[in-house]
Amino acid sequence: MLQPFNDQSALYLQVARMLEDGILRGIYPAEEQVPSTNELARVYKINPATAAKGINLLVDEGILYKRRGIGMFVAPGAAQAIAARRKAAFYNDYVIALAKEAASLGIDAEELAQMVRRAAAEKEEQG
Amino acid sequence: MNGKQHPELRAEGLRLRYGKNEVLHGIDLTLRPGCIYGLVGRNGAGKTTLLSCLTGQLAVSEGAVTCGGQPVWENPAALANLCFSREIGTTLGGGPNNMKVRDYLEAAALFLPHWDKEYAARLVARFGLDERKKICKLSKGMLSMVTIVIALASRAPITILDEPVAGLDVVAREDFYKLLLEDYAETGRTFVISTHIIEEAASVFEEVILLDEGRILEMGETDELVGQFAAVTGAEEAVDAVCAGHRVLTCERLGRQKQCVVRLPGGPGALRAGGEVDVEPLTLQKVFVTLCGHEEKGGGAA
Repeated sequence: MLQPFNDQSALYLQVARMLEDGILRGIYPAEEQVPSTNELARVYKINPATAAKGINLLVDEGILYKRRGIGMFVAPGAAQAIAARRKAAFYNDYVIALAKEAASLGIDAEELAQMVRRAAAEKEEQG
Repeated sequence: MNGKQHPELRAEGLRLRYGKNEVLHGIDLTLRPGCIYGLVGRNGAGKTTLLSCLTGQLAVSEGAVTCGGQPVWENPAALANLCFSREIGTTLGGGPNNMKVRDYLEAAALFLPHWDKEYAARLVARFGLDERKKICKLSKGMLSMVTIVIALASRAPITILDEPVAGLDVVAREDFYKLLLEDYAETGRTFVISTHIIEEAASVFEEVILLDEGRILEMGETDELVGQFAAVTGAEEAVDAVCAGHRVLTCERLGRQKQCVVRLPGGPGALRAGGEVDVEPLTLQKVFVTLCGHEEKGGGAA
């Protein structure tokens, strides 16, 4: 889970994304405390203000909430909310890019659909 | 973090001339308490000169430098808040610097009223520095470590490091950033760090100051600044269509492909990106090269 930050989007967005990934995978279940700003800063070697910006983004979205004097906690229903939001963005973020790359390789819609079905079936078998 | 008791460092209309040669051309700058600043600029941009003026080690030709409202020049009360840890020379007064590391640190402590001797000892041990070694016998990496020990153990409310990682290998550099952030989490003091190794330091800087030819070209939140730039790549006509009406800073062509760097104060959302072009963010290093990489001057040697 501790991949170094290497994608190019703004660091605070990467912090938020990384915490969201942790929530989605159940590393941080509802009502569990997430790492503090200073912990995130130390481990990822980023400015604490950047880490705080990422955390605050999730607070604004209702994914995390603050317990005064203790820290940041995962809100009930956070994983479902993240999944719903990412599902809505899935078409724009993944499917369009997939179709674009397929078109530039001369893969037609039917072939692409077959590939997607095969990948989904393999994923299902692996469980 | 208790940034409250920490003062603000301010330069107003700062100019510095060496004889007739003006090196800094009217710098206005406010360093707020409790922030980590990165100072970046090309060789000869005036970084070390600026830092020397800010810390009262060089008299300004015009303008004022104040710390907590007090002038810094020859003012011990204001200087007590400042530590400027610069690159150490291996020579001293024409001969080799024969001071031992231990004596060098003790001498530095005399000028640093907040000096934390115990912290200095811990850092020396962590870096594996031999205190009995003479300064002139230290490697470049070890000299950098001594400057870092002085800066961190100074516990000065405003701590300035000039090229602290220049001589360090990648493991020691990572260690430095970690120590820096640990100390910052604990004390919330202000740091200013100048560096040429921009990419790996970018994530540590809350704000970045971009100095170019004696002027501040940009100053602001690192994320915010970087977020204003985008690289647009694709077929020439498609790139031109997307970039039309925006501020294009650089263009490069490769066959029928074209890449333009554009500046979008509102972020890349302002681009009407069609399907045919790729829009990618820039790194701080690329932003720096785009803004400061002007054509070499004095084209006499054609």
